[in-house]
Amino acid sequence: MEFDQALQTFIMESRELLEAMEESLLGLESSPDDPDSPDNRDAIGAIFRSAHTIKGSGGLFGLDGIVAFTHVVENVLDRVRGGEVPVDGDLVALLLSCRDHIGMLVEQIAVDAAAQPDKETEATGIMLLNQLKAYQAGAKGTAPAVTGARVQSQAPVITTLPSGGTVESDNWHISLRFSHDVLRNGMDPLAFIRYLDNMGKIVHVVTLPDAMPLVPDMDPESCYLGFEIDFHGDNVGKATIEGVFEFVRDDCTLRILPPHSRIEEYIQLINELSEDKIRLGDLLVNSGSLTRKELDEALCLQALSAESCREKSPTQDICQLGEILVKQGMVQPELVDAALGKQKVAKENKVQESKLIRIQADKLDQLINLVGEMVIAGAATSLLAQRTRDPALHEATSTLSRLVEEIRDSALQLRMVQIGETFSRFNRVVRDVSKEIGKEIGLSIGGAETELDKSVVEKIGDPLMHLVRNSMDHGIEKAEIRRQRGKPAKGTVHLNAYHESGSIVVEVGDDGGGLNRDRILAKALEKGLVTANQTLSDQDVYGLIFEAGFSTAEAVTNLSGRGVGMDVVRRNIEALRGTVEIDSREGAGATVRIRLPLTLAIIDGFLLGVGSASYVVPLDMVMECIELDDAERQETRESNYINLRGTVLPFIRLRDQFRELGKAGRRENIVVVQYAGQKAGLVVDELMGEFQTVIKPLGKLFGNLKGVSGSTILGSGEVALILDVPALIQRAVSKEAQLLAYGL
Amino acid sequence: MGAIVRAEQRTEAASVEEGQSQYLTFLLGGEMFAIPILNIKEIIEYGSLTTVPMMPAFIRGVINLRGNVVPVVDLSVRFGRKAAAVTKRTCIVIIEIETGDEKQDVGVVVDSVSEVLEIPRTEVEQAPSFGAKIRADFIRGMGKINGKFVIILAVNHVLSIDEMAMLGQAGGAEPEILAPV
Repeated sequence: MEFDQALQTFIMESRELLEAMEESLLGLESSPDDPDSPDNRDAIGAIFRSAHTIKGSGGLFGLDGIVAFTHVVENVLDRVRGGEVPVDGDLVALLLSCRDHIGMLVEQIAVDAAAQPDKETEATGIMLLNQLKAYQAGAKGTAPAVTGARVQSQAPVITTLPSGGTVESDNWHISLRFSHDVLRNGMDPLAFIRYLDNMGKIVHVVTLPDAMPLVPDMDPESCYLGFEIDFHGDNVGKATIEGVFEFVRDDCTLRILPPHSRIEEYIQLINELSEDKIRLGDLLVNSGSLTRKELDEALCLQALSAESCREKSPTQDICQLGEILVKQGMVQPELVDAALGKQKVAKENKVQESKLIRIQADKLDQLINLVGEMVIAGAATSLLAQRTRDPALHEATSTLSRLVEEIRDSALQLRMVQIGETFSRFNRVVRDVSKEIGKEIGLSIGGAETELDKSVVEKIGDPLMHLVRNSMDHGIEKAEIRRQRGKPAKGTVHLNAYHESGSIVVEVGDDGGGLNRDRILAKALEKGLVTANQTLSDQDVYGLIFEAGFSTAEAVTNLSGRGVGMDVVRRNIEALRGTVEIDSREGAGATVRIRLPLTLAIIDGFLLGVGSASYVVPLDMVMECIELDDAERQETRESNYINLRGTVLPFIRLRDQFRELGKAGRRENIVVVQYAGQKAGLVVDELMGEFQTVIKPLGKLFGNLKGVSGSTILGSGEVALILDVPALIQRAVSKEAQLLAYGL
Repeated sequence: MGAIVRAEQRTEAASVEEGQSQYLTFLLGGEMFAIPILNIKEIIEYGSLTTVPMMPAFIRGVINLRGNVVPVVDLSVRFGRKAAAVTKRTCIVIIEIETGDEKQDVGVVVDSVSEVLEIPRTEVEQAPSFGAKIRADFIRGMGKINGKFVIILAVNHVLSIDEMAMLGQAGGAEPEILAPV
């Protein structure tokens, strides 16, 4: 692994961990009353692990700033976990700030790996550290926290620390055998030992060069070394030591013996390691872990037990460790079972993890593009096949196009991500904003598992942010007003997402006061957006708040009220080929509904002909097609509506709309389209059926063209335009209104 | 026809310093024009053009250029003349236009392409203030070839994406109000 790549992975992982940390912290804050509930215990554990992992991997990259800061945070979290420090709102708020600070440090690394934090960040860090001190006062072993985490350069091979040499029976004994690949995987074995030194005192290190091959056979990129370490540390548990080596867990054999271990365990250790047993025994004696007498006893005992085992099960050389332990009454069988179960679960988790592959987005985009080209080429092939009238070829191409369709679907599926991640980011936003504006507001999330295109998810974040802030600031009333209206004092903002007829709907709602129709109308009149004699539906009136510069808020706050924002929201959403509408009930709240296409790359289209040109309408908008017979054509010469099974269906003559020259065809058809609950007809010459449409942007030149949203390439190589039905209808509506207003 | 002329990858500034530039000359309504070849990506045969409705007349439509959709401009109409009739020699010259930091390909319909010529810097005259019957900012200079003048076009002005898009908006909406259907 390249170092840069590894660093990228670190940054990405850190972001994810920080997100998880934030989530847990917010969860903790929402139910602080019961710090000992299992949920909260889990949350604290999760927060601790996140901090710990960031510190650990930060250390690998020598990111001292992150390590030093996170170490202090971790210490506090450890005390929280141990129940020494109670969880309260202040602590959670402080920890959230710490999380943000770590995030900031990580982002700075992301910009420039060698970056030093700027003065401002540094100041924030120091301030936070001071605040954290209050929670770690009296804690042991924090002294090396800030400076101790700095990686010191030490003599690389054999190190005997000055204080070592004395026989201390309360030392940990750690046996480390690194795999050959450890260096290739970007890990420096020494870094771990140095890191271990930060947690306590390494009393004795013996480097085992036994596995080292002869010089000609040696691969300088392989690691052949093993280490026997005696380690002394206060307040250090086995898990902590294991944690040190967490990142090389797969690349090393690690045996940890706690202080005052039973002699059998040393035997086990000697047995398990590959080196010469006698030599290893001597090593242990030399390093002060064992006395010579203890070793002799142990070797004797081992010989005996090995023999007795062999009698019982001749096929097996040495009994399983578990069995021996149980037999000797040291461990209860249930405990072994529990431990085994735990291992299994851990393993399964690992398997699940490895099912995920990180792919660069542009590689995926390239694949989607290729699939798009394939769809076009496939369409061309079937067109040719149809001309030949060869049934076998016809069948072959239809099989092919079915497969292509499946490939298209699964390729697009690759880009689909759940919206939940975007939603959960708002937990923090709602928390912070509600504190800022002094309203008690909660967030409820629905439909988090709804999937939509990654590029859409990326672009929906900002508009959602605007809408959520608007809801909180304007929508939800102050607590006293809420109480007067008989509503709970705590307001709720909900985010919801679901699929509806080929598009995805994202809702931002609140249980606040709703929109004030009269006030909006009054404001619109004042701004000259509408005229007094216009009759407007509720929808039209609510839609006015998306006009530029429109704001009914009495006071401009930090968050909203300046009248910029809502028009930006609408522009952003329209850029995604989506629409936005508002539902509101006075006194009960408002819901903003955003309708978005599922994907931006390929759609199922319906091909129609007008004059000599072909056009595509998104298939999911097409309700039905009917023929406009001669009688109806006569009738509708002057008016643009027909009677569709008893209901009025207004229609647009595309031929007129597009000013297509030449006589109308002998037959005309109406394509009935539906969008956002409205029905309309499009009069066309020819119906050409379903067509898989790869959307090609038309470019800036056509940016102002309303009614056409893009283009696609037909099987014949010709370009067909994709119609933007809502815009077409809108255009027809405004055109007719204008014509009538001019009295033409 | 169908011959592909690839532009040399030289910067314009460098060629100006050298004192001469290469130009593609073409005929349009019987008149000869020239475009610096550095802007030209390729020349293709005229065909399979899709008209885009509700756009001004100088935008003929779009074509499929190896999977990319490229707009095609009728230069005659852009110059305020009659639309060019399509003949066997009609070509589309694909020109790369830079707008800001974006690059966009635009096709231009011409009656026929002539040849690639070298016009020394000294042989390029200032554009006349009137008389060419083309907007002055469209003309980069007048090149002298064998004692005759050709109009060297300022491509970035003639095919300014921003301006054409704005005209597109106006051209699409106005006539409809004035001329009811």
